[in-house]
Parts: sequence; structure tokens; C-alpha cells
Amino acid sequence: MKLFASLLMTLPSLAFAAGGFTWTSGIASALHLPEHVVLFGFVSVLFILVGLLYRLKTADVSAALVPDSKFTFRNLFEFVGEFVYGLTRNIMGDKMAKEYFPLIVMLFMFILMSNVLGLIPGFLPPTDNFNTTLALGLFVFIYYNWHGIRVQGLVGHIKHFMGPAWYLAPLMLIIELISHGVRPISLGLRLKGNMEGDHLVLTIFSDLVPYLVPIPFYVIGLFVCFMQAFVFTLLTIVYISLACEVHDHEHHD
Amino acid sequence: MDANGLLALSSALVLGIAALGGALAQGNAAAAALEGIARNPEASGKLFVPMIIGLALIESLVIYAFVIAFLLQGKI
Repeated sequence: MKLFASLLMTLPSLAFAAGGFTWTSGIASALHLPEHVVLFGFVSVLFILVGLLYRLKTADVSAALVPDSKFTFRNLFEFVGEFVYGLTRNIMGDKMAKEYFPLIVMLFMFILMSNVLGLIPGFLPPTDNFNTTLALGLFVFIYYNWHGIRVQGLVGHIKHFMGPAWYLAPLMLIIELISHGVRPISLGLRLKGNMEGDHLVLTIFSDLVPYLVPIPFYVIGLFVCFMQAFVFTLLTIVYISLACEVHDHEHHD
Repeated sequence: MDANGLLALSSALVLGIAALGGALAQGNAAAAALEGIARNPEASGKLFVPMIIGLALIESLVIYAFVIAFLLQGKI
């Protein structure tokens, strides 16, 4: 109770100090954590709860075979899952899609939830901080390299960097190394920059005219939130499929 | 003009020039994809994913400029 009271006490002063009100700034200062970490934890807890809820709804396997007839929570969840699975299968093919789908759908849902959280007044998206997005990008980077080595072997994975012909190898190696090294940074910067820019535009227009005018920017914001989660997921799929594809050289000239 | 003025000017110019280049490139990419869809509407599903990847890669350059603009702005 005392903690709650102190939280309430610190809220307004913090809001003025930071230049804007957020619901979580009190919690962040009480825990001595940066705000995006608190929000990231919040989204994680939300994500786990949503997953558990879905699990409970489909606990009875024979009953879960038939989808709900109306628009329910479960239908929404399955719609997102099917959408991402279709995307994965289009790029990777059936066999690989089954293997890597859990990570991909996790990334998509997590980033989408984090992004959309920023549209609720008084919340910042955790993905508008470079620390969060670089962590996600590095995770993808390690994941696809690890699976590339696992599937192709170390030599096979390094052969990817060598280009199509042996005389191009010294040139291609440098280009490929740079392009791979930049991938986590560009993934992180793209997500962070888009979310921050989107939020900034929304802030500026709501400051200029608080009524009605920000509504189109909310719609654009929703679109950007979806698009950035989509792009991040799409690039993850492409990177994984590039690293783990088994080439058959006999069919090429 | 003092250093702060130059910083402010450059941080604005960085984003302006980058947005110009990015907009031209994205316009080209989207126009080509739309032309492809107009010629063959059934290909829209197949064109969509490569178009989005291309747009994302073009956009990332503008985002780099956005970050640089922020860095410059922080120095004022």
C-alpha cells in the first residue's frame, strides 16, 4: 500500500520531468529500470498470458478441431498464426516452414504487440528504443547463423560467403561479411526508427490540434505497426532460408 | 553562422536529402510492382513479398539518415 501510494506520488512529477505522461514511469523509477525494459517485461507477461489462454481454449484436442463460428479470441489468434505460416511456407517450403515456424510467429506476435502498445495513450512502444530492437536483431543473427552451421556444417556455411565462382571468392567474402554484419544493426535500426518516427509524428500532430486531426495518424500508426512487424518477420524468414537452404549444384550450370 | 546553426541545418538537410532519394527509389519500386500487377493481376500475391522486401531495404537507408539526424540534433 505504501509502495502504491509512493508510486502515485511520484507519477505526476516524473511525467513533467520527462516531458510526457506515461503509465509505467512510476514503476520504472521504483524498480530503478529504464522504461523500455519495464514495458518489454509487460509485453512479455501479456504475451505469456495470451498464449496460456489460447492453450486453455484448445486443451481438448477433439473439440478444438472445429473452429469457432463467431469472431472470437481464438479465431483472431489462429488468423495471425495462419497468416504467418502461409508467408513462411511461401518462402521456405513446407519442410523448413514446420521447423522454423515457432520462432517466426513468436517474433511477429511479440513485435506486433509491442508496436501496438505504443498507440495506447500513455504507453510507449518498447520497440522504439534501440537497445530492445538490437537485442531482437542480434537474436535473429545468432539464430540463423547457428542453424546454418547446424544444417550445412561449418564449411558449408562458410561456402555461402564465397560467391558463385572461386575467382570471385576474395571479393565476395568481404562483401558478404559486411552484409551479414550489418544485418542485425539494420533490422534493429529499421524497427526503432520507424516506431520512433511514427510516434514523433503522432505526438507533434496531437500537440498542434488535440481533437480529430490525430485520428488519421493513428490509422497510419496502426499500419506502420503491422508493417514493421511484418517486415522484421519477413527478413528473418529470408535470412533463415538463405542460411539453411540445401543447394543442389548438379542442376545449375 | 556558428557551429550550432550548422548542426541544425545539417540535421535537417540529412533527413531531407535521404527522404528525397528514398521516395524516388520507393516510387520506382512500387510503380514497377503495380505495373506488373496491372499486366497480370494473378501475380499480385507473388509480387507482394519481394516488393515489401525491396521497400524495406530501401527504407532502411532513410532510417539510417534519420538516426544520423537524431545524433546531430543531440549535439546542438
